Amino acid sequence: MPKPLTVALFAGAALLTRSALRRRVQVSPLWPMPALETPVSGRPRSRTLRLLLTAHETIADGVVQLRLEGAELPRWTPGAHLDLVLPSGLVRQYSLCGDPEDTSSYTVATRLVEDGRGGSREVHERLAEGMELEVRGPRNRFPLAEARSYVFVAGGIGITPVLPMLRALPEGAAWRLLYCGRTRASMPFLDEVRELAGDRLTLVARDEDGRPDLDALFASVAPGTAVYCCGPEGLMEAVAERVPEGAALHLERFAPGAPADGDAAFEVELRRSGRTVEVPADSTVLAAVRRELPGTVHSCEQGFCGTCRQRVLEGEVEHRDELLTDAERADSMLICVSRARGERLVLDL
Amino acid sequence: MESERIALKARNVSFSWEDTPLHWVPGDPFTTHTINVLHLLLPAGERWFVHVYEQALPLIEDDRLREDVIGFIGQEAMHSQSHDEVLPHLREQGLDPTPYTAQVDWFFEKLLGDRTLPPGRARRWWLLERVALIAAIEHYTAFLGDWVLGAAELDRRGADPTMLDLLRWHGAEEVEHRSVAFDLFTHLDGSYRRRARTWASAFSALLFLWQRGVRFFMANDPTLTGAKASFKDFYDRGRAGVLPGTGAMLRSIPRYLGRDYHPSHEFSTAQAVAYLSASPAALAARRAERSPKGAA
Repeated sequence: MPKPLTVALFAGAALLTRSALRRRVQVSPLWPMPALETPVSGRPRSRTLRLLLTAHETIADGVVQLRLEGAELPRWTPGAHLDLVLPSGLVRQYSLCGDPEDTSSYTVATRLVEDGRGGSREVHERLAEGMELEVRGPRNRFPLAEARSYVFVAGGIGITPVLPMLRALPEGAAWRLLYCGRTRASMPFLDEVRELAGDRLTLVARDEDGRPDLDALFASVAPGTAVYCCGPEGLMEAVAERVPEGAALHLERFAPGAPADGDAAFEVELRRSGRTVEVPADSTVLAAVRRELPGTVHSCEQGFCGTCRQRVLEGEVEHRDELLTDAERADSMLICVSRARGERLVLDL
Repeated sequence: MESERIALKARNVSFSWEDTPLHWVPGDPFTTHTINVLHLLLPAGERWFVHVYEQALPLIEDDRLREDVIGFIGQEAMHSQSHDEVLPHLREQGLDPTPYTAQVDWFFEKLLGDRTLPPGRARRWWLLERVALIAAIEHYTAFLGDWVLGAAELDRRGADPTMLDLLRWHGAEEVEHRSVAFDLFTHLDGSYRRRARTWASAFSALLFLWQRGVRFFMANDPTLTGAKASFKDFYDRGRAGVLPGTGAMLRSIPRYLGRDYHPSHEFSTAQAVAYLSASPAALAARRAERSPKGAA
């Protein structure tokens, strides 16, 4: 039998502890658990936004500019693009060309591609002011890096990611811009580009001036220069050939998706298993990998759940998922939808 | 035993929250916030499920179970993302959940995360312990899922349809895959002592985190002053049918601790599948199962 004094002491201590705890919890219901310094929850990776199309205007021959309005939109950095989900369900990516600090609207511009896959035609002909559009992003895979000097080469509608870069460059930065197009009337943002660039601009309209002289442009490029190029495939190839050693080349394809006639075949090396598989044009990396490694995990097969994510050791990936952040895309891919940009990928499998 | 085998597959749902009011059960902040705690716990919790199960996958020796676990991982990943998307909406309405969710992040990523253990017995023990914890938690997610599917009183009180769809889509998938976690635990270990021990930890942790989440919400709700949460509020709303009943929750304890427990004996797959075939979000996801899209 415990002594009454012991019982009283214990009861007293328990009561005191209880009231002290109560008081503490009243001050903050969150006492005393530690917290993660950089929280993960509550920061969804790719938020789908529904935005109102408030302006749909032709700003040059064959070029339409869209203004999408919403509230508290995520900020972006120059070079970023937006995924636009068109009413038909097609998903197309367009570079943002407005003000990155503007959190109430996004601006994109698109050129009508006559023989394209239907995305630009839909934007030009079926979208109208007052419609609501689903938008994902923004994401940036063409970010402006710090460099000693810059050379920008924009072909036609390829000016859209470059324009916010020009605005964001610090005063006194050394840069030049080559802006080329078919005709002056088909080149968007001409006035603003002229005003921003002044005598740093070389303007080449093919019907008046012929082809741009890329050799002259790159003759005097110093090491440490960052070269940014966005335009038709031919222009980007020509630039890539001429960029001198020591300069960093950044390319933005405005049709990162497959060529119009479908995807190409490529091969995937599974380094840890020491095997190589062929991915036919009409199949996925996942299907090819599962023939060799049937236990490879996957679930949605549409690029949204992230179950099939794999580490990429070599090769350039054409990302078609809706999930990964840019940092994650740097070294991994969702193999259920994404493909190789070249002829070969090496996976850590 | 009602367990027609269903291939588990993630559904690409999406919800838009613009029209959902802060108190989405009209005039009842306590009920709203008690259910809202789900959005605080699930993003980190279900991310943790996925993380643990990816480590357990190589240990599975049964192909059917492996397929189920893979489907489970996909569904849980979508649950985590969908609840995560509610949090910015709460923040926009003046109720920033970050102080609380940062703690839940710590709880799952650090306290229950991978520890630096020597490979071999210690590491396997920690993995099995976590697999068993998940089985216990899944008993409650299925319980809550089954409850919300049948909670007609919420409809009667005019609760926000989008929120109800999120809860019921999620609840239905929880009922749909309710056996997976327990089957995996049985397959890898199945020891009764571990089941009882981890049940006790999971139950006390859930109770602790949940009451604290409700207090946190009630204290920080910008439209309330001096609001308090009490067990009586919970009990009363359980009786009214807008929250799970206290009695039903207590009765579910001995069931999980029964020697012959199996989740397939509980709840109704039919009700879950019926909801999934009518859920606005799940329907939209099925419609959007579009042809492989190239981005151009």
